[in-house]
Amino acid sequence: MTYQDVKPGEVLLAVDNISLSFGAVRAISDVSFDINKGEIRAIIGPNGAGKTSMLNCINGFYHPQQGTITYKGQKRSAMKPYEAAAQGIARTFQNVALFKGMSTLDNIMTGRNLKMKSGIFSSMLWYGGAQKEELEHRRYVEDIIDFLEIQAIRKTPVGRLPYGLQKRVELGRALAAEPELLLLDEPMAGMNLEEKEDMCRFILDVNDEFGTTICLIEHDMGVVMDISDRVMVLDYGGKIGDGVPAEVRANQQVIDAYLGGGH
Amino acid sequence: MFYREAGQFKSSYKEDQAIFPILQDRVGIAAILLFAYIAIPFVMSDYLIGAIMTPFLILALAAIGLNILTGYAGQISLGTGAFMAVGAFSAYKFATFSIMLGGAEATLPLVVTILLAGVVTAIVGIMFGIPSLRIKGFYLAVATLAAQFFIEWLLVKVGWFTNYSPSGVITAPPLVILGFEFNTPAEKYLFTLTFVAAMALLAKNLVRSHIGRGWMAIRDMDIAAEIIGFRPLQTKLSAFAVSSFFCGVAGALWAFVHLGTVEPEAFGINRSFAILFMVIIGGMGSILGSFIGAAFITLLPIFLNNVPPLIGWNIGVDMIAHLEFMIFGVLIIFFLIVEPHGLARLWTIGKEKLRSWPFPY
Ligand SMILES: Nc1ncnc2c1ncn2[C@@H]1O[C@H](COP(=O)(O)OP(=O)(O)OP(=O)(O)O)[C@@H](O)[C@H]1O
Ligand SMILES: [Mg+2]
Repeated sequence: MTYQDVKPGEVLLAVDNISLSFGAVRAISDVSFDINKGEIRAIIGPNGAGKTSMLNCINGFYHPQQGTITYKGQKRSAMKPYEAAAQGIARTFQNVALFKGMSTLDNIMTGRNLKMKSGIFSSMLWYGGAQKEELEHRRYVEDIIDFLEIQAIRKTPVGRLPYGLQKRVELGRALAAEPELLLLDEPMAGMNLEEKEDMCRFILDVNDEFGTTICLIEHDMGVVMDISDRVMVLDYGGKIGDGVPAEVRANQQVIDAYLGGGH
Repeated sequence: MFYREAGQFKSSYKEDQAIFPILQDRVGIAAILLFAYIAIPFVMSDYLIGAIMTPFLILALAAIGLNILTGYAGQISLGTGAFMAVGAFSAYKFATFSIMLGGAEATLPLVVTILLAGVVTAIVGIMFGIPSLRIKGFYLAVATLAAQFFIEWLLVKVGWFTNYSPSGVITAPPLVILGFEFNTPAEKYLFTLTFVAAMALLAKNLVRSHIGRGWMAIRDMDIAAEIIGFRPLQTKLSAFAVSSFFCGVAGALWAFVHLGTVEPEAFGINRSFAILFMVIIGGMGSILGSFIGAAFITLLPIFLNNVPPLIGWNIGVDMIAHLEFMIFGVLIIFFLIVEPHGLARLWTIGKEKLRSWPFPY
């Protein structure tokens, strides 16, 4: 497969007419949208609208029954999540999915796994190749730890951390992969105001400094309208709005979905 | 004696990543090794060395093997005994086959024989690990149990494995390295110690590398592990391979160094369970714990046999056996429910307390 290099502002990923059902439940019906390189793209919608399912399709965890996904100018065939990861798609989860038995440092180090090549034998012998590689990646991970301001919990098993910090570590693990496209599923859910502000700052900084394209799902409208370049709105699996925040805010269908409907 | 890292500032990630970053740990390990190499052969009787120390070390190696699979990679196995048997019998086949080909002088070097036996076991382990891609937990345990019975049955039924020995018993060749023959229990113990210490070091390196992190990631949350790029197939099968390699080497040592003559029954389901208990009691996901667990399970029966009479409490032999089962049972339930990281974890907590003692804040 040959992926084209995508310049900022061009389409990085395009979803065309995808539909996904689980038995009788139609999670996504005939949705198309695209994500431009370098932008912050939000997906919003009431509970059960199909937002998480959309991210799951993008990173190869679900396979839509209809429609196509084009990534970097290349139509993607059904792929496994680890293949999507290898192509530069990283994500965080709605319910934190960290490795509970491991420390913050080790969790973030796992994010670099695709870049670490030492085999079993050189890892066993350690001194020489494996150690050198480990140190190289450790340096990168320490930069992420500094960036996310979590130096103090470097060695703490993540199972013992409060929820807000766990979300931060999970972001760190995704960043460690140096992704081209970062998918964030409700990165601020369950956080207090101060934690939300920190998280917003991190997201904006990542987007700014590394040029990482970000697609995020978020329920907090204030946050979404503040930080996103474009917003797509899903309701009952269908797309009901798409555009810059001001357009979406003025969209009557969107207002109805949020105010009416009893969600 | 203070155990703390205060004042030991690590100026580089390299130091922080050293295998034993705290000075007292390094001193401790060095002291244990010195003790094991120098004091034990002099102080302990040949009988105790042969009956306790050597089997303890070999079982610890098997426990490391199982710990890699179950403690680190989260794949439960009840086939450890069978994998040890594969190691023992393939070492036997390699040794006797090379003698057959080239006469006694041309026999493969002992260390090569043992390592090759480990490789064969790794391959067998991979084969029996394939179901783990589809099934988990209880069902995987049952599948490995099937492996246990199948391999045992095969080794008893197919004469080729024992070179058609009528009794099904195999006899190991003499232990010779570069012309030196390991004869006395102390010599055999030192040979085992070297082998086991070296392999424990390799295991420790592996579990702290990115490969070990992959195993733990699959253990803690397999879906997330796959989504960040670990391939479930490679990750699980590499754990089966490495784990079986260790168990195979342990089996070869058990046959060649500890027992000398051995039959498949020595590697039955009881052996599998004993090693699983070592891992649970010692601590899942801990190399040190594998040693602690092996020591515990080897020593408890001896302790029960000797201590009650000493304090004038005469309990019968079967009472001791019952007591043994009861203590194991209670401990296993305790550790499974309360502290899955076993005795090794209690040791770590103790160290953490000491580190901040006497001012915890
Ligand atoms: N694996 C699955 N099996 C069956 N149904 C599913 C599965 N995943 C999602 N669904 C269904 O698809 C629909 C959309 O779910 P999804 O999780 O994508 O919603 P969401 O927009 O992320 O909602 P929320 O805001 O609550 O996270 C729901 O009706 C859900 O029950
Ligand atoms: Mg969701």
